[in-house]
Formats: sequence, structure tokens, C-alpha cells
Amino acid sequence: MNDKILEGEASGPAISIRHLTKVFPIPFRRERVVAVKDLSLDVLPGQVYGLLGPNGSGKSTAMKIVLGLVTPSAGQTQIFGRDSSDVESREDVGFLPENPYFYKYLTGEETLRFYGKICGLSGSKLRAKIAELLKLVGLEDARDRRLGGYSKGMLQRIGLAQALIQDPRLLVLDEPTAGVDPAGSREIRDLILDFKSRGITVLLCSHLLGQVQEICDRIGILSRGVLVREGRLDDLVAIENQTELILENAPPPLIGEIKALVEGSGARLVEARKPHTTLEQLFLEVTASGKETNERPHERRKE
Amino acid sequence: MMDTPPASTLPPRTPHKLFSPARIWAIASNTLLELVRLKVFYFLLLFALLIIGSSAFMLDFKFQEQFQVLKDMSLGSMSIFTWLLSVLATSMLLPKEIEDRTLYTILAKPVPRLEYLMGKLLGILVLLLISILLMSALFVVALYIKQQQVLADAVQGVPPEQVQAVIRGVKASSFTVSLIPCIVVIYIKSALLASFTLLVSTFATSSIFTVIVSFVVYFIGHVQGIARESLLSSPHTTALSKIFLAFVALLFPDLRLLSLTDDVVAGNAISSTIFLKTAGLGVSYFCVYSLMAYLIFAFKEL
Repeated sequence: MNDKILEGEASGPAISIRHLTKVFPIPFRRERVVAVKDLSLDVLPGQVYGLLGPNGSGKSTAMKIVLGLVTPSAGQTQIFGRDSSDVESREDVGFLPENPYFYKYLTGEETLRFYGKICGLSGSKLRAKIAELLKLVGLEDARDRRLGGYSKGMLQRIGLAQALIQDPRLLVLDEPTAGVDPAGSREIRDLILDFKSRGITVLLCSHLLGQVQEICDRIGILSRGVLVREGRLDDLVAIENQTELILENAPPPLIGEIKALVEGSGARLVEARKPHTTLEQLFLEVTASGKETNERPHERRKE
Repeated sequence: MMDTPPASTLPPRTPHKLFSPARIWAIASNTLLELVRLKVFYFLLLFALLIIGSSAFMLDFKFQEQFQVLKDMSLGSMSIFTWLLSVLATSMLLPKEIEDRTLYTILAKPVPRLEYLMGKLLGILVLLLISILLMSALFVVALYIKQQQVLADAVQGVPPEQVQAVIRGVKASSFTVSLIPCIVVIYIKSALLASFTLLVSTFATSSIFTVIVSFVVYFIGHVQGIARESLLSSPHTTALSKIFLAFVALLFPDLRLLSLTDDVVAGNAISSTIFLKTAGLGVSYFCVYSLMAYLIFAFKEL
């Protein structure tokens, strides 16, 4: 864990969930659905936290309770120390729901102006913020186009911009790349990393596990409303009794010597192969236009 | 993994206001803008055609009857158009916002649910106000043109000493002060229906359900008075029926009472007492329905 996250840990969690339970009664029947059961977790300031789980596992319910949209049956949630049922706690939150449509008849600029106004911004401060966010999400050229004409990726980006309008310290993103093509998905991934570099805490729900693995510091996995795994990503995915070496320009004799050393030491060589690029990276390379590069795929991935 | 700077690098924020008219107006103006861009004002063309038609097809009537038909047609159309507009525009607000998830993005901001609902309702009220003002303007123009036509015909062949009396008679039949309270009551009635529709939409799952319930209640509101008079005058009415009638009367306003059109068309003066009682009834129901809508919405699981 890096020093900055340790610093955040000392100042208290961005999100604190304690023994959270949510039960939905089924109308006209005696049955009840337990959406979330005794969930406890902390998201520290500056972290990108991935909340994972299959459909119906309780992710969205937990997220809605954190945002004050749903009332918990038991337990407590706090945002930067304030109860999330308090409206004031949402000063610190930006939210992008899954597949948002927004107001189709508004332009990109009007959309941001509307969200800015309901957050108490006005005048030159609001105008400057709109210009800054449109530039950040790469929609300066589409600022006067109505959202009805936006592509899926553009809608997600304007959604991210509206989430950031009041400079929140916490972003809650529900499937931010759902339905977006790989290039758009990569852009959103880069934006999330940019938010992180600016000190914004991110709670991310996603089914794209590869992307979660790329950007999250910590993850929690929900199954049927219960938190079944939680911890630092590196700790959870590491195979403790194995070591990976990646060599560049290694001549065959050297490989042979290493293999012999391994055999002689009593360890077992599980696999020796050339590293692969990802299908996403390959797709991005072959579909990118006007970009000349001599970089090899695996080199670019580690940017 | 990238370094994470502390959150304190973010700019300081403005303190949150517990109640903000600016936030309410932002939501109201956005609601209004949505409806304007949905081209709801096109119905005014239909309204204009109706009053032009009603002016054109009654040239054989006496001038008093011509004014009566024009007023009856115009005020009746204003009542129906504002009713349709209030129900159709309000019914799509909440279900559509939930379906599009825009509601989540707004309530995830520091916006109290009361302000959100007030903003939505205010947007509809402003829309209805603009609509009724535009329709009133068209109506006044039509009435003025009709007045000039009638005056031109009426003074022909009249001895000079009687001309002033004829002009006074024509003017008294066209523009009357009672038109203003009548139009105000039409507006209040449409606001009441908008607040009822908003109440239904807080627990309805679709716009179509909201529209159907609002139409049924409009119908109940107009026939309950007749049903009550008929049942209460019958000797066979049971106590249970009377309780049911009282319950219906309490829950839904008698919409026949919320109209001054018949008096205005008949040329009767409207006293300030009658106007205040009628307007007070409408405003009371508007407040009760709006409060109920808020109480349901405040505890709604989204």
C-alpha cells in the first residue's frame, strides 16, 4: 500500500459501511428478499475500490444505500463521516448510474449547466467549470450538440463530467463502460486513473474484471448479498508459491541455463512462454488511425 | 500503481443550503425547457382554430348569442386544454426520470427530495400559466375582432342619439370583468389536477397508469355531485352509501364547483365571495395533494 493511501487511512474512510442489511418485502406475499446481508467495509480516501459480484448480488442496492436513494433495513453507511441519509453528505459525491440517458433535448453544455446549478454553482465559476470538464472528457467539440445525438461512449463521458461538477471527493460509478466500445472503454479507464491522481476516491461497480484489475486498489466481492472476499487486489490475486520472471532479449542458452538451475533447485517450472498482448490492446492498435508508433503491445500496456 | 495525492488538493466548496429557491428554479426551468422542446405549445394552433371556427359559424345569431357562444367555446376549450396539458405533462415526469435514471443523478447530488418535487411541480405550473396566458391573449383578440364586427353592424341605421347606448350594450356583452376570475379559476383547476397527477405518479410504475387514474378521477370529480344529489334524495339510500359518498367527496373535489364559466357565459356578475370560495377550494385541494405527493415521495425506495 502506498504512503498516500496510508495518509487517507489516518483521516478516516471515504465510505464506511457497518453491518448493512437490506430486506425487500414482496408485495402481497409473505416472502422477503434479502438483497444485502450484514455488509461491512471501508473505502479509504484516494482509493479506487471495485465492488464486484454477479447480477442480483446486491451491488446496486448497496450503492443506492450509500447514495441515500434506498433506506437500509439495518446498519449504517457514512460518507466522509456523515450519515449518507443526510442530504449534506452528497456534497462530496458524484454518481454515474448504469446506462444513463440524461435529458436528450439538452446539449452537453446545458446538461452540465443544469447539474451545476442544482449544486449551487453559478456565473463565471460555473462557466469555467463547464469548460474545464468538457475539455477533461474530450467533448469540447460536441458541447452544442443535443444528447439525443450522442454515442454511448459520449453519454458516459458527459455522465462522468456531471458527476464531477461540484468537485466531489468521492465518485460512485456503476458499470461506467457498459455498452462502450474498447476505445471508449479505455478512455474512461484513463479518466478514472486521472481522477485518482487528483485525489478523488472512486467506488466502481463493473463486470469487466480485466478493467477492474487494471485500476482498482482494493476489491470486495458480493455473492447473494454477502461479502465473500475483501482486500487489496494484489493480495487477493497473487499466487503465493509462484514467481513470474519476464526477460527481454534473452538468448536461448540463457533460458536453458535458467531451466537447468530451476530443475537443480528442486523447484518446478510451471510454464515458459512468450507473454501475450490482450485482445483489447490488439483491437485498439489495429483500429487506431493516424497514430504511428514503434512501441510493442506489451510495452504500451505498462504506460 | 499510481500515486494518490491527498483529497485536500481539491478546491474548497460552497456551504450547502438547507433550502434553496435557486435549486428549485433550476429544476423547474429544466422541466419547462423539456416540455417546450417537446413542442407542447403546438396545441395552441388547435385552440386558435377552434375559436376562429366558433366566430365564423354564428353570423346569423343575435350579437349577445354570438358573444355567448364565443365565450363558452373559448373558456371551455381553455379548461379542456389545460386539463389535458396538466395530466399528460405531469404523468410523464417521475416514471420517465426513473426509467432514464436521471432522477438518480439529481438526487445523488445535494438536492432534498422536497426541492426536487417542488421544482417539477413549479415547472408544470409555469407551463400551465404560459399556456393559459397565451390562450387568453388569443381569446381576447378573437373577442375584440368579434366586438368590432358587431359594432359595425349594430350602429347601421341607428339614430345618432341611440348610437352610444348601442355601443355600451355591445361592449357590456363582450368584455366583462368576470372573465378574469373565471380564467383564474380555470388555472387553479388545472394546477389542482397537476398536483393530483403528481401524487399518483409518486407510486405509479408507468405514465399510462397515471394518465388513466387521473382521467378517471377527472370523471369522478364531474359526476360525483350529480350522483350525490340523486342518491341523497332517494329514500332507499343506505347509511353505508352515504359514508361512501362522504368519503369520495372528501378525497376528490367536486370539479363542477371549480368552474365559473356558466355564470360568465350567462352574463352574471361574479362576486368576490364566490370567487374566493371557489379559488380557496381549488388551492386547498392543490396543497393537500402536493403534501401527500411529497410524503409518499420522501419515503419512496428508488
